[in-house]
Amino acid sequence: MAIPRIAFIFAITAFLAGLGVATFSELRIFLPALLRGAVVTVQVSVLSIALFLLTAFVAGIARAFGTAPVRWSAAIFVEVFRGTSLLVILFWFFFVLPEFGVVMPPMVAAVLGIGLNFGAYGAEVVRGAVQSVPRGQTEASIALNMTQFKRMTRIIIPQAVVITIPGLSNLTIELIKATALVSAVTLTDITFASVQQNQLHYRTLEIFAITVLLYYCLAQFIRFGGGWLEDHFSRHLKPRSA
Amino acid sequence: MSEPKIRFDKVLKAYGPLKVLEDLDFHVDASEVVTIIGPSGSGKTTVLRVLMTLEPIQGGVMYVDGEPLNMMMSDGQLVPASKAHVRRIRDKIGMVFQSFNLFPHMTALENCIEAPIHSKGMAKSKAIDESMDLLAMVGLADKRDHYPSQLSGGQQQRVAIARALAMRPEILLFDEPTSALDPEMVGEVLSVIRRLAESGDYTILLVTHQMGFARDVSDRVCFFDGGRMVEQGKPEALFGHPRNERLKQFLSKVLEAV
Repeated sequence: MAIPRIAFIFAITAFLAGLGVATFSELRIFLPALLRGAVVTVQVSVLSIALFLLTAFVAGIARAFGTAPVRWSAAIFVEVFRGTSLLVILFWFFFVLPEFGVVMPPMVAAVLGIGLNFGAYGAEVVRGAVQSVPRGQTEASIALNMTQFKRMTRIIIPQAVVITIPGLSNLTIELIKATALVSAVTLTDITFASVQQNQLHYRTLEIFAITVLLYYCLAQFIRFGGGWLEDHFSRHLKPRSA
Repeated sequence: MSEPKIRFDKVLKAYGPLKVLEDLDFHVDASEVVTIIGPSGSGKTTVLRVLMTLEPIQGGVMYVDGEPLNMMMSDGQLVPASKAHVRRIRDKIGMVFQSFNLFPHMTALENCIEAPIHSKGMAKSKAIDESMDLLAMVGLADKRDHYPSQLSGGQQQRVAIARALAMRPEILLFDEPTSALDPEMVGEVLSVIRRLAESGDYTILLVTHQMGFARDVSDRVCFFDGGRMVEQGKPEALFGHPRNERLKQFLSKVLEAV
């Protein structure tokens, strides 16, 4: 598993290094612009992921445990943000809300739009995970006279978290790729920077090779992070080594 | 006459039109060991589940030490109980499940100290001391740091018993505690229950298919059929001279199987 991947990454890196040497002078011209775009992509990603995870857990737990009004509010939130296009949500935050006096900088609009849109998907992952914790766990908590709050925070949610990891990792990777839409609200992320630099310098292969590599590396980072978290949270299911 | 430890007064439990328990009057005295037997669907497990408040009842009142559990007194009238009232009364009851229901993300010791610390507010060091004594009592002190998945079924059920005892209940409910176990592990669990029964420290209500064991440890055996208590008596009488026809059929079937 690991060796082909390392070989693959090594090959790509070597290929790009070769290209870089061959076109060193060109790289110096467009690389700074691409790096500025990469910083924007990473910024939007990190902030959106934070909002996405927060929203997913709050809305998912509200749907699973809340009283009727709370459940309904969470359900409406999920339906609105899941049922509409991310691009249109971004337009709404940046171009439509100012008509009602709500003006926000492009970074805020981008993070809100992406975080809430993916949070709505994530909420369903969290709800499914919470509801898949066996009923016997709830019964044992009642028999031990725990309050509903302790039952949620100490018994059900810790067991649900590990179940959410594959689904939420998937969405996180999707989210990073969806940040390419933020140019719609005037942010210059790596994708938009690539398009611009390509129009200026016509170094299509080098520019888009760097772009694709950046997305791939970010996705791998999430993949390994998710794998590590999953191992960490399910160590109690492994046989004892001692 | 002193108040029984547990008293059911015309308890009705129904799922839609299906009455699982019908106008059940039933009582258990303090320190009494009562076994409930009966065919599947007779409502025997339901008696434990409604008493543990795992399921609501549709009619009647359950009393513990003379205090209503599912209802409470307000201005001299019985009204549906508040959560706080239920928690106060329920604190006297502990339960052991057929499928153990240990918390899989916690070690044996963590399973035991969880509720004393987070439900009773006991100091952690005291909870650990008490739980270690209980784990030693069930013969599992050396497994304190094992997770449930690393224990055998019999060991898991003994941890579950220690976990229930850690809350210092006065009443213990055992819901078919050996039904999910491999045959060679039944003995280790029954011997722990036997010790608890013989200590006289607990009022015990047991649902089991282990007829020999029921006969040995029980002060009284109750036969349930179709949501009603059909016959009850001392184990020698009930097993030796059953009067009810359904009970005779049931006993001949289960004793044949042994």
